Amino acid sequence: MARILVADDASFMRQIIRDILESDGHEIVAEASDGIQAVEEWKKHHPDVVTMDIVMPRRSGIDAVRAIAAIDATARVVMCSALGQETLVTEALQAGACDFIVKPFKPDAVLATLRRVLEKGDA
Amino acid sequence: MAKYRVVFLEEASEHLEDMSRALLELEREPGQGEAIDLVFRMAHSIKGMAASLGYDPITEVAHRLEDRMQGVRTAGRVEDDDLALLWKGFEGIEAMLAAVRDTGEVPPTDRGLARALASAEALRKKKVLSPS
Repeated sequence: MARILVADDASFMRQIIRDILESDGHEIVAEASDGIQAVEEWKKHHPDVVTMDIVMPRRSGIDAVRAIAAIDATARVVMCSALGQETLVTEALQAGACDFIVKPFKPDAVLATLRRVLEKGDA
Repeated sequence: MAKYRVVFLEEASEHLEDMSRALLELEREPGQGEAIDLVFRMAHSIKGMAASLGYDPITEVAHRLEDRMQGVRTAGRVEDDDLALLWKGFEGIEAMLAAVRDTGEVPPTDRGLARALASAEALRKKKVLSPS
């Protein structure tokens, strides 16, 4: 099971994704409510995976991915996007994110993406 | 579902308070970048939360507000017409949240409001593409 950092400025969204991930046995090692905190928590915990919202205050999710990838190019970051954010998702993937999930979160889709990302990392 | 509804109502109400303060700031200073960003982010966040609970009418109005704010971000300032419409969007979401709080159900979409927000953004895009 994976150790996961959840970054989203809405505590509501963090609660939903936490419930989905914990229901599958994963451990949430920390939560972050903005991009700066996400990078700080990543440095502290070195999680197996980060779920990262794109639109966040202080530092966007894309900037946070860029900062994490600059420290560790193998870090696994999954972007959480809304419909209509395709351009931003592409930018995030170029910045170092490895996959994305679309809001509203569907438990099966979230867990399938996570499995895919973890398998990729193990290969 | 009930657990999520409580968190949603609490957080969406906080977002509306922030949005209200930012709109007041924009009335004083129409080019205030932080206030523009804040209204955009609050609309975006409410949209995502409402969509997660299947509150489509709230999602739609928040989405239109977000789109409109994207246009405002590009322009770098709000116009008086924008502000009037943004306040209407704000009040529309506020009323729908109150209905969810009181009845547990979301009221039907305010089609007039959604159309007005969409038309304003379409008009802005047209002006950008064909400046006179």
